[in-house]
Amino acid sequence: MVESQDAKQPDASELERYAALLDEARRIKGTSLWQDAWRRLKRNRLAMISLWCLVAVAMLAAFAPLLPLQSPLDKDLKDRKNLAPGFRGQRYWVKLGERSDLRFASDSLTAELAKFDDEVAELKTKVRAASGTDREQLLGELDGKIHNSDPLEKLWHNPGSIVRQLLRLRIMLFGDWCLPSLFGTDDLGRDVLSRVFWGARVSLIVGIVATLVSLLIGVTYGAVSGYLGGWIDSVMMRIVDILYSIPFIFIVIFIITILSAEETKAKMDALGINQLTVFYVLIGAIYWLTMARVVRGQVISLKTELFIDAAHVVGASRARIVFQHLIPNVMSVVIVYLTLTIPAVMRFEAFLSFLGVGVQAPDVSWGLLVDEGVKAVTPIKIYWWLIAFSGGALAATLFSLNFLGDGLRDALDPRMKNR
Amino acid sequence: MHPTLRNAFPYVALVVLMSALVWAVSFGTLPPADFSFHNGDEIKTVDPSKATGQPEHRVMTSLFEGLYREWPLGYELDEEGNVLNAPEPDENGNYPLDAAPGVAESVDISEDGRVYTFHIREAAKWSDGSKFTADDFVWSWRRTLHPETASQYAYQLWYLKGAKKYTTSTVTLGGLIEVELSDRLRVGQLFPRGTIRRGKLLGIARPPEPQHAPDASDEDKAEAESEWQERSVYLVEENSKVVAFSKGESTSGWSNFKVDWLAGSARDLPSEVVNCLHVLPDFEATVGVKAPDDKTLVVTLQNRTPFFLHLTTFYPLFPMNRKCIETHGTPAWTKPENIVSNGTYNLEFRRFRDRLRLVKNPLHWSHKQVKLETVDVFGFKSETTALNMYLTGQLDWITDAPSTVIPQLMARKERDYVPTPLLIIYFYRINVTRAPCDDIHVRRALNMAIDKQLICDKVTQAGQQPARSLVPPGLPGYRSPLCEPFDPVAAREELKKSKYANLPGGIPKVEILYNTNENHRAIAEVIQQQWKNNLGIDAELKNSEWTTYLSSIHSQEYSIARAGWVPDYPDANTFIDMWVTGGENNETGWGNPDYDAFVKKAAEEPGLDRRLRWMEQAEEILMAELPIIPIYYYVSKGMVSPRVKGFFPNVQDQHPLYWMRIED
Amino acid sequence: MGESLQFLFRRAGWYLATMWVVYTVSFFLMHAVPGGPFDAERNLPPEVRKNVEAQFNLNDPLPVQYFDHLTRALRGDFGASIKIPDFTVNEIIGQGFPISASLGLFAMVFAVCLGTTAGVVSAIRRESFVDFSFMVAATLGIAVPNFVLASLAIILFVFQIQLLPAAGWGSLKQIILPAICLGAPYAGYISRLTRTGMLEVLGRDYIRTAFAKGLSERRVVVRHALRGALVPVVSYLGPAVAGVMTGSLVVEKIFALPGMGSHFIEAAFQRDYPLALGVVVVYTALVLLMNTMVDFSYAILDPRVKLGEL
Repeated sequence: MVESQDAKQPDASELERYAALLDEARRIKGTSLWQDAWRRLKRNRLAMISLWCLVAVAMLAAFAPLLPLQSPLDKDLKDRKNLAPGFRGQRYWVKLGERSDLRFASDSLTAELAKFDDEVAELKTKVRAASGTDREQLLGELDGKIHNSDPLEKLWHNPGSIVRQLLRLRIMLFGDWCLPSLFGTDDLGRDVLSRVFWGARVSLIVGIVATLVSLLIGVTYGAVSGYLGGWIDSVMMRIVDILYSIPFIFIVIFIITILSAEETKAKMDALGINQLTVFYVLIGAIYWLTMARVVRGQVISLKTELFIDAAHVVGASRARIVFQHLIPNVMSVVIVYLTLTIPAVMRFEAFLSFLGVGVQAPDVSWGLLVDEGVKAVTPIKIYWWLIAFSGGALAATLFSLNFLGDGLRDALDPRMKNR
Repeated sequence: MHPTLRNAFPYVALVVLMSALVWAVSFGTLPPADFSFHNGDEIKTVDPSKATGQPEHRVMTSLFEGLYREWPLGYELDEEGNVLNAPEPDENGNYPLDAAPGVAESVDISEDGRVYTFHIREAAKWSDGSKFTADDFVWSWRRTLHPETASQYAYQLWYLKGAKKYTTSTVTLGGLIEVELSDRLRVGQLFPRGTIRRGKLLGIARPPEPQHAPDASDEDKAEAESEWQERSVYLVEENSKVVAFSKGESTSGWSNFKVDWLAGSARDLPSEVVNCLHVLPDFEATVGVKAPDDKTLVVTLQNRTPFFLHLTTFYPLFPMNRKCIETHGTPAWTKPENIVSNGTYNLEFRRFRDRLRLVKNPLHWSHKQVKLETVDVFGFKSETTALNMYLTGQLDWITDAPSTVIPQLMARKERDYVPTPLLIIYFYRINVTRAPCDDIHVRRALNMAIDKQLICDKVTQAGQQPARSLVPPGLPGYRSPLCEPFDPVAAREELKKSKYANLPGGIPKVEILYNTNENHRAIAEVIQQQWKNNLGIDAELKNSEWTTYLSSIHSQEYSIARAGWVPDYPDANTFIDMWVTGGENNETGWGNPDYDAFVKKAAEEPGLDRRLRWMEQAEEILMAELPIIPIYYYVSKGMVSPRVKGFFPNVQDQHPLYWMRIED
Repeated sequence: MGESLQFLFRRAGWYLATMWVVYTVSFFLMHAVPGGPFDAERNLPPEVRKNVEAQFNLNDPLPVQYFDHLTRALRGDFGASIKIPDFTVNEIIGQGFPISASLGLFAMVFAVCLGTTAGVVSAIRRESFVDFSFMVAATLGIAVPNFVLASLAIILFVFQIQLLPAAGWGSLKQIILPAICLGAPYAGYISRLTRTGMLEVLGRDYIRTAFAKGLSERRVVVRHALRGALVPVVSYLGPAVAGVMTGSLVVEKIFALPGMGSHFIEAAFQRDYPLALGVVVVYTALVLLMNTMVDFSYAILDPRVKLGEL
């Protein structure tokens, strides 16, 4: 009774007290699910180590062109074939551009690059001065020079514009100096250390992009199916069942083959899509099925919860409920599942490399490196460094992802809250 | 679910598991063979009319025997198979081969080199004990040439006079033709054939030509054309009566068709049309093969063909047993329980993707000289696995050692990996219709910018020789003209002469197409670097799986593509004649009338020596214009256990089982 | 019994539809890929090519080919293989399938036995050294592609220890390595699933009751906890079998086993249309069959599950 009276007629002091309480409550700020999870994750040492490892790998991969590495593509067949890992001896220490077949000015990339820049500048001034047919001639020469004589291209085949800038920066920072072949060299005399770093770029991007694609399709599909329910749900899930039983390798091989046909390739090039992009999307489009099932299951159990009813009452549209209320709440499951999908995708990429339909040379990926490495493991001679480092990098990344996934699952599990 | 069902589950599972186990080990009860080898791939068929490919060759030369067979020059055995004389290898470790008598005991060759009279061996027998006759060859070659057999290698018999006409069903007015009626005993089986009627072709009545809609696709047009052809009615003089035959189902209103008559023949139309399956030129009258008696076979060739005896050692020309095929039909006759063959070995069983077992044929005329009693032929695909099995003693011979470990294999103390040069060329095919390779200077520059020696020494590593000509060395009497050697400075000079030298945008990119294989990739990557370093030309790499790769080449959708050429017979002609303008295997878009003229002269030349000179002149043009860039000549990559004797490495990489013996 | 039958009939309808979709997609995709079965290094003379293609009806319009082949396939006849003319597709699959199936079965038995044991032990000895090393091993099993595992295993067990033969099919010894290499990733996955499942079940009330009754740990784990913990494992078996089937093509290649897996990719690469379609349909049917078995297994493990509701 008393309380209800209080509620009806709060006097000024009461109001003040409430305001103070509210203020305090505001200041405390309940920990959200995410903060809570983060706090618990931080306590899990293994998961945190994994997380930092992954961040480090991602950073190193992203900035690989900036590191003082040898070129991952430059082949020195004469004296540097199949070197075992090491750093002692002249053959291990390489200066950029010193390979004699390159015929660089004073056997150095920096010198050659300076010469090239000078020549280009000189030609440019000449072009400005000239006129008429002379000018045409000189313009052609300049163009030819830029396209066919860039020393960067001779070491790093066709780098993109961002990579090119990073490489220029790297040359400014380190000059011709680079790390010795600490991981040895492969049978074409390429530095394995730099190949592992550059391979990380492709592998990680394949893993992440493909997983994001699967996330996008899978979460949307699963959430819609689970939320709408009824016959729509059963039809949508039957479709997933059908897709599940399709032998995807078979299909992927054909699609990749069709896409690499010359005509299609030209069309895609015109649109600025390269084969690697298609590759990511394709893999992502395969791995969404399980994601859709998982999300649907979660949504079905969530949609009877009070907060969804509340949203209904407020008059939120269906789309708003699905995307604003349901999906954020299934994110915990999704994130855990993500850490399982990335390894699967990376393994799939390795498998495609094994079949010869994966990443195309001269691009490198860990899958390709592992495949090359396995071929160098024979009872007669084991070039262990070809498999050990690429395989190790792949395994370590997958390990980290797994442990991080476990950690996240524990951290996001509400039942674990007070442990 | 019913509880009994639930309780039964573990037992059911156990039973399934046990039966799987029994099945799995049931394979193991096989006595080991005397000799086992890895054949590179599963053989697709043992039907000589249908086979293609190297692995098939190795099995077919054991199962069947042609008129002649390959034999090391100077290798002599006595009746019992003891070695009387063992030849010495040449400086490369190869032994010269010769075509030695097989089913035929001897041959007489006419003065002009076009008529071969083979004398069949008295002792020649089929594996079911029946007598071998010259007519068996006539029948077998008819089968291979028949359009319905659809033999991919039928063209190997087209050196015979008139043979091509038979395969392509080319009938001419006034010529003798054979008509097969549609009254076959078994539908879908070519043999035994339906009633054959023969006669002179007097005229062909054709329905009005099909009118194509303006928007009709090529496919529709082709279909309409072939339907039109189908409905033709053939008017044949048979026993001085005119009979009308047609392959088509509907010949209604045919009396109104336009008729092409043989000049001066009677022009009355018979009232009805006889339905038939095939209208072909008469085999006996058209194709140059006859059996005047049981033991004599007379073959008449189109042109002088100096390599014809070698061709008879090749499986498309092998004999097949008529009774066996007519009894069992195709493909049932190839089953081990049905097959009748005439080679040194019989087919005991065939487990797909596992092995094929051969046992010595005790009825073969030379069976005492054949020393391996049972042979297992393994058909799986992985080279590494084959090496593993070789090293653990499960195999005695592997045909393709993995190239990753070549230096280590060559250093083995057993000395069981000794590569010898082969008559095979590895080259890059250039599409000369595309920029920048339509410019001869660019092509020459590209050639000079490849350090082929480096590729041989450091990439292929098995002692391959850098190639500067299309025809590999090792053919007696033939001297290849050479293209320019590796010279980066000259290459840059050459490039400056090209029309692309100072073009805006620089020299256009090229693309190297190769089929998925790590060796091809390694070579392409090295060449990519050399072109970039030496010329500044960008090359992109593109790998395709085999069939896509072939289709890109056939449709000329490539700019530069890796290729190899394995000769069918040891003669320069097999390398040279493919580059004539529009040739089926040319596929570069290149053509040169002088070249074509030289090839034609060589084909028609009766003088053996002058024939070679014509071909050399042709190759000289090829090496100057370079629609192809030769890279290296292959070496053999087989490994054979030291206990195997009679292996005789040779430029054709042929190792028939009947040469071999095991000496422990 | 009736319940099971009704369930099966309802499923059969969906399965036929699924197989039809797979068949159709594969058929048209395969024909859309450039190149045909008769592309060879030596080009065929056009006249010969025409004869050869006519033999396999390849010059008919595509829809005609499709319906021709489909009607035959419905009668269970996939026709003759194009590239392997001595055999029909049914013969080829008939020879390869039992081998792939028994290899797959051994791999799964290995994976389930090892996986559940490791999972249970890990769960009971939670956060011990044993748990950690099992978890590392399981992660390794999942992370390492099976072609890598197979190569390393061959070096180790064939050449270093000389215990097992390098390749081939026929004896028990020859089955061990391929089955282990094929089953390893699944063993890893199953052990993780079992561990998670066990941890959850061990926290439940009925287990505490069982312990309170004074039952031995072994009895509690085997009789009570395991059954509940295996449910997620069983639901994983369906996809796992599909994975084993495709994974087997790698293992079959490396160990030179005459199974069906090698046809899977090779028929596709060689454009052997009838064979490729035959293999794909068999594969799909197998996956569907396995899914049904999985659903049955739910009912076996958990008496409360009604098949009709699945």
